[in-house]
Amino acid sequence: MDIATLAFSALYQFGDAFAFLVLSACGLAVIFGMMGVINLAHGEFIMCGAYVTAATVHAGLPLPLGILCGTLASAFVGVLVELLVIRHLYERPLDTIVATWGLSLIATQGTLILVGSTMAGVGTPFGSFQVGAYSYSIYRIVLFVAALAVLAALYALFNWTRFGVLARATIQVPHMAAALGVDTRLIYSLTFACGAGLAGLAGGLYAPTMTLVPTMGATFIMEAFVTVVIGGADVFLGTAPAGGILAIVKSGMTSWQGQLFGQIGLLIAVIIVVRVLPKGISGFVLRERT
Amino acid sequence: MTRSGLRGLRAAALTGTLVLASGAFAAENPIKLGVLEDQSGDFAAATIGKVHAIQLAAEEINKAGGIMGRPLELVTYDTQSDNTRYQEFMRRVLQRDKVDVVFAGFSSASREAYRPIVDQFNGFAFYNNQYEGGVCDGHMVVTGAVPEQQFSTLIPYMMQTYGKKVYTLAADYNFGQISAEWVRKIVKENGGEMAGEEFIPLGVSQFSQSIQNIQKAKPDFVVTLLVGTAQASYYEQAASANVNLPMASSVNVGQGYEHKRFKPPSLKDMYVTTNYIEEIDTPKSKEFLAKFKAKFPNEPYVNQEAENSYLALYLYKQMVERAKSTNRDEIRKVIAMGDVCMEAPEGKVCIDPKSQHMSHTIYLAKVGADHSISFPKVWEDIKPYWLGEAGCDLTKKDPMAQYTPSNPPPKP
Amino acid sequence: MTGLVSLFRRLEGPQTLGRGPAFWALFALVLAGALAYPLFSDGYTVGNTVYFFVWVFIALSLSLIWGYGGSLSFGQTAFFGIAGYGYGILTINFGAAYGFTWIALLLAIGMAALVAALLGYFMFFGRIAGVFLGIVTLAVTLMLERFMAQTAGPEWRIGAARLNGFNGMSAMPPLTIPWFGGPIPLFADVGLYYVVLAMLVLVYLGLRILMNSSFGNVIVAIRENPERAEMLGYDIRKYQLITFVIGAALAGLSGVLYTVWGQYITPSSMGMTAASLPLIWVAVGGRSDLTATVIGTLVVLSGFQALTIYGSQYALVFMGVLLVLTVLIAPNGLVLGVIKGITKLVTRRKQEAA
Repeated sequence: MDIATLAFSALYQFGDAFAFLVLSACGLAVIFGMMGVINLAHGEFIMCGAYVTAATVHAGLPLPLGILCGTLASAFVGVLVELLVIRHLYERPLDTIVATWGLSLIATQGTLILVGSTMAGVGTPFGSFQVGAYSYSIYRIVLFVAALAVLAALYALFNWTRFGVLARATIQVPHMAAALGVDTRLIYSLTFACGAGLAGLAGGLYAPTMTLVPTMGATFIMEAFVTVVIGGADVFLGTAPAGGILAIVKSGMTSWQGQLFGQIGLLIAVIIVVRVLPKGISGFVLRERT
Repeated sequence: MTRSGLRGLRAAALTGTLVLASGAFAAENPIKLGVLEDQSGDFAAATIGKVHAIQLAAEEINKAGGIMGRPLELVTYDTQSDNTRYQEFMRRVLQRDKVDVVFAGFSSASREAYRPIVDQFNGFAFYNNQYEGGVCDGHMVVTGAVPEQQFSTLIPYMMQTYGKKVYTLAADYNFGQISAEWVRKIVKENGGEMAGEEFIPLGVSQFSQSIQNIQKAKPDFVVTLLVGTAQASYYEQAASANVNLPMASSVNVGQGYEHKRFKPPSLKDMYVTTNYIEEIDTPKSKEFLAKFKAKFPNEPYVNQEAENSYLALYLYKQMVERAKSTNRDEIRKVIAMGDVCMEAPEGKVCIDPKSQHMSHTIYLAKVGADHSISFPKVWEDIKPYWLGEAGCDLTKKDPMAQYTPSNPPPKP
Repeated sequence: MTGLVSLFRRLEGPQTLGRGPAFWALFALVLAGALAYPLFSDGYTVGNTVYFFVWVFIALSLSLIWGYGGSLSFGQTAFFGIAGYGYGILTINFGAAYGFTWIALLLAIGMAALVAALLGYFMFFGRIAGVFLGIVTLAVTLMLERFMAQTAGPEWRIGAARLNGFNGMSAMPPLTIPWFGGPIPLFADVGLYYVVLAMLVLVYLGLRILMNSSFGNVIVAIRENPERAEMLGYDIRKYQLITFVIGAALAGLSGVLYTVWGQYITPSSMGMTAASLPLIWVAVGGRSDLTATVIGTLVVLSGFQALTIYGSQYALVFMGVLLVLTVLIAPNGLVLGVIKGITKLVTRRKQEAA
C-alpha cells in the first residue's frame, strides 16, 4: 500500500472525526460557550433538526432544503425555549442544568409519543469514490466541508456583522450594552436561536447517516460538551482548535487501538488539556495575544 | 396529529393495572402476571411490541375462559430502559402486587439487575428475548433464541455460500463478546478463518474507521452483532462508503427491523437467523399477524421478541393447567417431563428441561436490494443444546448463575 | 465535657436551616415516625424506602461539594461506582464471615476516598475550577463506565470476582451481622432499614456539625469569594480537597449501600444519566442546605417513582415539566422555597399580631 493512500486515509479519518466534533459542538459553543447556559437539551435540538429534515425529505423536498427546514425549525424551537424558560435563568446559570434536563425529558418522550419510536431514514446521497484499496463515502467529505463552512460563517457573523458585535458586547457586559441602547433581550433571544439552529443544522446534516430515534441526541452530547469546554468561551478561537486536537487524538487512537481507546483517549485528552490550560484553549490564545 | 393523539390516549388506558374482564369469572381469583418492559427510553423501539403482544395474548386467553377458569390480570410497569427501575419494580410486583409470574426485560443488563431479586423472593420470571445465552437459573424460563441456535445455522450457510474469511463487528459488551466467541468457534470448526474482529462500545454512532478496517481485511462476509439504535447507523454509513459485502447477523432485522427503518439498499444482502419476523409466510404466522394488526393497527413491526412474549403466555397457561397450580415447584415438575411444547406462530417450540430454554424454528431471512425479505432456508426444531451439554441440569441442581463458553459450569 | 457541649452546639448555626426547640422537636418527631413506621408497613414499602435512603448519601455529598463548596462535581457517580465494585470484589473474594462485610464497606469507601484524594489534588492544586471542574469529573466517570462496560470476558477478574462487563456484577453477599446463633444477613427489609436509617441520621448530624464549625465557615467563604478567602490567609486548595474527599466518601457509601440493597452493581451506575440525576435532586431540593437536600431528594425520588407507576408513558413528560416549573417558580430549590415562604408567612402574622 503506497504512502499517498495511507495519508489520504488518515486525513479522511481525521476530517470525519473533526466534522463530527465541530458540528456537534458549534451550537453548544454559542449557547454554553458564549451565553453560559449549560444546555443539557442540546442533543434534543439536534434530534429536532434531524427529524424535521427527514420529515420534509419524505414529504418530497430535496435534502439541502430539508436541512434548511430542520435548521430553521430548531432555531424556532430555540426562540420559544428562550422566551419561556431560559430568559428567566440568565442570573443563575447553574439552574439551567435542571431546566434543560427537564426540557430534554419532555422532548425525547414527547417525540416518542407523538411520532412513534422510530422514523424511517432518508438515505445518504452522492455515493462513494475509490482511493487505493478503500472506497469512501462522498457525503463524509461534504460533512467536513460543512464543518469548515460553519466555522467560517460563525467567525464572520461574530466579528464582521453588527449583530455579532452587539451580541458579544451584550453577553460580556449586559448593562453597559443596554445603557448604550441595545435591545439586550432581543440579542439574547437571537443568539440562543442561533445556537439552537446550529444544533439543528448538525442534526440535519447527520440525519441521512444515522438511525432516527427520539434518543439519538445522546450520541452527540458528550463530544459536544468536551469540545466546547476545552475550547473555552470564544466560539471560533476555541471550537476550531479544540475540534482539531480532539479529532487527531480520537482518529489516531481509534485507528491504532479501536473505538474504545478512541473514546477513552478523547476523555484523557480533555483532562490533560484542562489541567494545562485551566481557561480552555481560547482563554490561552487570548491571553497570549494581549 | 389527532390520530397519534388518540393512539396515545388509548395506550395510556391500556397500561397500568388492567383486568381484561368479561363477566363470566368475576368471582374467580385472578392469576396475576407482572409485565416489566421498556416502553420509553433507548430500547422502546424494540420492546413496545412485546407489551402489546402480551396484552393480545391475555385478551385472547381471557375471552376463551382464562387459565383453569381464572382470569388473567396484567400488572404493567414501564421500566424506561433503566436498570434501577427494574430493581424497584421487580420488588414491587413480587412483594406488593404478589404476582404469580413476571415477564420481564430486554437488555441482558436489565435481566441481571432483576435476577438476584427474583431469586431472593423465590419468584418466577420469563425472559422473552434473544440473548447471549448461559443463564442456568430455576427461577427463569427463557423463550428467546440463544447463540448456538442462531449461529450453528447461520455461519455454516454463509461460509458455504460466500467463502471462509469472516469479519466480526460486534458491540463491546457481554452480548457482543460472547456472540463473537461463538462465531469464532463455529468458523474454526468449519475450517474457516477470522479475517478480523472489532468491538464497538455501546452508543457509538460513527463508523468510518471500522469501515476502513473491514475493507483492509477483505473478508468474504461480515458478521454484524451491533446493538442499540446508535450502532445501527453502521449500515447506512457502510452502504454510502460502498463496502458492498454480504452481512450476517443474529440480532438485526429480527429485533430492530432495520430493513424498515433505513432507506434501501443499505441492508442489501443481510442474512439473519431469527425465530420470527412478520414477513414469515405460513398460515400460523399470518393469522398471528392479522390478530396483532387488528388490535394494534399502528404497530410499526412485529418482531421476534413480540412473538416470544406472545407464545410465552400460552406456554405458561399450558404449564399452569397441567400442574393445576401456579406454584413454581409444581410447574417445574411439569417442565421436567420434557414435553411442554406448543404450535406457535413460528412453528413448533418446546422447553428444554435442563436449561429451561426453548427450541425454535429458525428462519434464514435474506434482505433484498429493495429491502424485501426472502427465506432461503428454514431449520426446524433447533435446540438450545449448549447449557445442557456444558453441565447445567436444572432438574437436578439450581446454581442460579450465568455461564459462558469460556466460563462454563463447574464440572461435578 | 465542655468539648462535647460545644460540639453539640454546632448542630445549629448559620450554615444550616433549622434551630431552636421547635426544630429539634420536629426532628425528634420525624425520627420517631421513621423508627416506628416499619411496624405498620409491609416489606416492599420498607425495602423501597431503604432504596430512597441509599441515594440520599450521594445527594448529600453533592450538597457538600457543590452547594456549600461551590465546586460543581459532575462525577460523584465515579466514587459511587468505585466503592460499589470495591465492595463486590472484596466480599466475593473473602466472603461474609466474621463481620467482614463491614470491613469491606469501610475499605470500599476508603478506595473511593483515595481516588478522590488523587483526583482532587490533580484538580484543585492545578487551579481547575468552575465548569472545567465539572467536565473533568464527568470525563472520569464516563471513562470508568466505558472501561467497565467492556470487561465481559473471563480475563477480567480480580480473584474470584468477575467484573462481568455491562451486564454488571452480582451475587455479592449482603451486609451481615455476625451473631451467636449464626450470622444475620441484612436483606433489603427491616434490618437493613434500621442500619441505613442510623447511618443517615449520623451523617446528617455529623455534616451539620462540620458545616457550622470553622471548617464549614471557611468552605462557604470560599464559595462566596475564593480570592477573598485566600487573602484572609486560607489555603483554599486544601479546604477544597478535604471537602472533595469527604464528599467522595459519602458518594462511596451510597454506592456500597446500593450494591448491598440489590446485590448488583453495573457500569450504567457511572454513566451520563446516572451522573446527572444527583444534580437534579440536589438542585430541586435546594443545594445550599443539608435539610433541604435530604427532603428534596426523597421527594423527587418518590415523586418520580410514583409518576412512573401511575403516569404510564407520560411519566417522563410530567417529570420534565415539573423540573422546568420548579426552576422557574422556586429559584432556591423547592424545599428551601417552601420553608422560606412559610417563615415569611409566620413572621408576617407575628408582626400583624404585634
